[in-house]
Amino acid sequence: MIDLKNIEKYYASKGIKHYVLRHVTTTIKQGEFVSIMGPSGAGKSTLLNILGMLEEPTYGTYEFMGEDVTSLNERKRIELYRNHIGFVFQAYHLIDEMTVYENIEAPLLYKKIGGSERKSRIADLLDRFNIVAKKDLFPNQLSGGQQQLVGIARALAAQPSIILADEPTGNLQSAQAEEIMQLFQKLNKEEGITIIQVTHSEKNAGYGNRILHIADGVVKDDVAVSNNVKI
Amino acid sequence: MFKLNLTIAWRNLWKNKGYTLINILGLSIGMASCILIFIFIRYQMSFDEGFKNEDRIFRVVTDWKYNAYDDFSAGVPVPFSAAARNEIAGFEKVGSILKRGGVISVKDAAGKEKLKSREAVYYAQPDFFDVFSDIKWIYSAPELALSKPNSAVLTEKYAVRFFGSVKSAIGRTITVGDKTNLLIAGIIEDLPQNSSFPLGIVISYETYAGRFNENWDSVNSSTSSYVLLKDGLSAEDLQASLTRFNHKYYPIQKIAGNQTNRLQPLRDIHFSEKYDNFADSSINKSELYGLAVIGLFLIITACINFINLTTAQSVNRAKEVGVRKVMGGKRKQLVSQFLIETFVVSLVALLIACVITELAIPPMQNLFKGTIEFSLFAHPVIFIFMTILVIFVSFLAGFYPAIIISKFNPALAIKNIISLNNGGLSLRKILVVVQFSITVILIIGTLVIIKQMQYVQEKSLGFNPNAVAMVGIPTDSLSKIKYNTFRERILSIPGVKEMSFCQSPPLSSNINSSDFTYNGIKNEDFELRNMRADENFFKVFDLKLIAGKIFRKSDTANACVVNETFLKKMHILNPQDAIGKVISASGNNVPISGVVKDFNDQSLRAHISGLAIFPGNDQYWNVAIKMDAAQLVVSMKEIETVWNTNFPNGIFDSGFVDQSIINYYESEQIMGTLFKVFAGVIIFISFIGLFGLISFVATQRTKEVAIRKVLGASTLELVKMLNGSFLIMVFIANLVAWPLAYLFVSKWLSGFAYRIDISIWPFAFAMVISMAITLITVSIRSYKAAVTNTIDALKYE
Repeated sequence: MIDLKNIEKYYASKGIKHYVLRHVTTTIKQGEFVSIMGPSGAGKSTLLNILGMLEEPTYGTYEFMGEDVTSLNERKRIELYRNHIGFVFQAYHLIDEMTVYENIEAPLLYKKIGGSERKSRIADLLDRFNIVAKKDLFPNQLSGGQQQLVGIARALAAQPSIILADEPTGNLQSAQAEEIMQLFQKLNKEEGITIIQVTHSEKNAGYGNRILHIADGVVKDDVAVSNNVKI
Repeated sequence: MFKLNLTIAWRNLWKNKGYTLINILGLSIGMASCILIFIFIRYQMSFDEGFKNEDRIFRVVTDWKYNAYDDFSAGVPVPFSAAARNEIAGFEKVGSILKRGGVISVKDAAGKEKLKSREAVYYAQPDFFDVFSDIKWIYSAPELALSKPNSAVLTEKYAVRFFGSVKSAIGRTITVGDKTNLLIAGIIEDLPQNSSFPLGIVISYETYAGRFNENWDSVNSSTSSYVLLKDGLSAEDLQASLTRFNHKYYPIQKIAGNQTNRLQPLRDIHFSEKYDNFADSSINKSELYGLAVIGLFLIITACINFINLTTAQSVNRAKEVGVRKVMGGKRKQLVSQFLIETFVVSLVALLIACVITELAIPPMQNLFKGTIEFSLFAHPVIFIFMTILVIFVSFLAGFYPAIIISKFNPALAIKNIISLNNGGLSLRKILVVVQFSITVILIIGTLVIIKQMQYVQEKSLGFNPNAVAMVGIPTDSLSKIKYNTFRERILSIPGVKEMSFCQSPPLSSNINSSDFTYNGIKNEDFELRNMRADENFFKVFDLKLIAGKIFRKSDTANACVVNETFLKKMHILNPQDAIGKVISASGNNVPISGVVKDFNDQSLRAHISGLAIFPGNDQYWNVAIKMDAAQLVVSMKEIETVWNTNFPNGIFDSGFVDQSIINYYESEQIMGTLFKVFAGVIIFISFIGLFGLISFVATQRTKEVAIRKVLGASTLELVKMLNGSFLIMVFIANLVAWPLAYLFVSKWLSGFAYRIDISIWPFAFAMVISMAITLITVSIRSYKAAVTNTIDALKYE
């Protein structure tokens, strides 16, 4: 599904290149649950941003579903966002002026999904995440964990094949974090959704089935995880 | 503390260069327009100011009341002054003054003619200068200089023009007309531009040939009388004696109160619509008020920009406010700090406004054909106005934002979680609607004025004024003898098609009207306009007859042609019925020979009058010459040569009829230009304000835009989202503006008897323009917001 070859990213300032990523080459297959780990400033988020096409690599090739997306035009990238990629953010990034319901609805509107279909999908998501009662509330009326649930529900609404999550539990208490991680694992196991997350916590990484350790922009270690966390 | 506040104000303004630029630009343009309007209004209000006794100086005017119609004249009958001086005890001084035109020739010391030109001359009694005792005499005194016949007084300017200097003018002679020699017996100072009687050449009243006229019925609007009331008296005190006077000299002839004299205060002369003045410079006060309102609109629009941008930006200042409050800053201190900031902005704007004003003054003088001089620094009142303007703007623009900003709760402000309410009906939205309503009203007004002026210029007037020149002719008996040979010579010029002796062109404000009898019955409903022209008049101007025929060639009135409106007013249904009926008006007693199709005999502000055209060479003042349009220039040259050889003592003076018709709408044209300029200015101010607001909104919503982008929103969808609320606001502004604009334009159009119908299109067009410009302005910025890099906005907070 994802094929990275020799990805490099640097910022040039006053003629000196500051590397953020060097020689990153890896392949992520459909249905994998990958955790990217490493110390602060190692380049984890940059890598995830490149995977999400929010940033372009300075060098190297990136194939998404067999298509070279290194420099994709705007229209095609929007197509991918609409149909294949869901984002989950550490700071949730819900739209403050919209209710829970409307936040989840937003991607469906952009995907031009019909009214009844939209309603049933949102109802289904609200139901699954147990937030039916909160559908008319605004984000600032929810707890962090609840906001992140809405964030994930929004990411899933368009039925993506991959979810990119940047420290999804970074702002949450451990109980809530656990809940979110279990949800990810379930989505991965039951619906076969590919998940790539950036995380600091070994425990969270344990929910996945593969860990990429990054330090100083280089992939140091690529290990498979024997899945021993109970669902 | 104050100095520190100034420094901080400066730093803040510098930090937000973009918004500061928008604020200062808008304010300075608004202020410049206000200053220009103020200079203009001040100039107009200053007319005839500064006379010591101005409260006691009055002009005497004459009013008529007919059954269906009132008439007014700025003049009085010739015998008025002498009679009033004797009989009205309340008058301290009564001074007659008349304005006439005359050909002045000046000879040099050797007796050779050195200058000959047509000038306005005034015949004045010495008493006139007793009324206006502030007019300084450089040489001699009123009694000395103006008591004897054949003496004249020049202003300094004329003395210099005629004789090189004041000194050399004294005792010399100028000639008015052919033979009247005038001794220069006095010199007075130049009168200011803002005077309703711009004296130049003043001839003693004793020289005036018509001074023995004893007819109380005939009034010439250029025969004026100015009076000075006795100290302590007011116009009301004299009402009784004036009424007695009127009864004595205007016995009830036709209907009660037919002709009366009344007093008009000196300072009203410039603003009176009904009575003209020697300077031909009157202006309607409502026009001045209109301009003042536009000025107010402009400054309000600019202030709205300031308020909107400042409140919008205030969130960025929240932290500062919080910290200041925690440190013990009082709210009052914060308010004054923000007011100082506004004051700094206004002051900078004022400086720029002065520069803009200076640049705009020459085109403004141009608009008034250079007859008025304006200057920014001429009058101390202008500085007072500027000071008031800056203070007014500082408060209007600064007060509300200062209150809002200083109100922030410090605990929330420091944590930077202050947000302005974006939903609901915020003041900002209301202000934008107000601003755009003003803009739309001005756009609609401008469109309607342009359309009406176009209509006025293109409307068929019922006659053809194209390629017709009016050329003045001398009226002395010697010249009259030459009329026929003159006609023959003119007609032999190639390119000349036809020529007519007449009084004035068909459309003219030069009206001679009188009461009349029709078929032996005296009419009391309206005055008949008497036009004088020979039989060729109809051909020159392409006037069509609908019944009867043109009168036969004659030097005196032998018959007349009336117009359709005359028949309508007389309730004559069949034009043929009028033929042969006798009209008796202003001394002529002649049958009607024909009926001419209606043509506009006055500007389109007025309805067509009932009129009759008589031949009669004692009142031909002009010839109308119809030419071939292609040979106009060549023919005119030839005509001038022929004219000069035929009338060697006269001065050739010509004009084109179509041009003179356009000149009747001069004030409307100036109004149109002003509207165009101010509409442009207000559009500019409004839209830079809008650009500032959308910039702010776009900045505020960067995060939302980024989120939507990763959810799959296209650029177009994002632009639409950002634009939406602005388009709605401008749309609502249109709805608000329409009824107000309708009231305004229908009021303005009602000043025209012939006018366009108010159609939907100026309204629709204003809407399309405002929406289109909004869309463009807003899209430029929102597009930029929609294509910026997503990831910068989604970094952790």
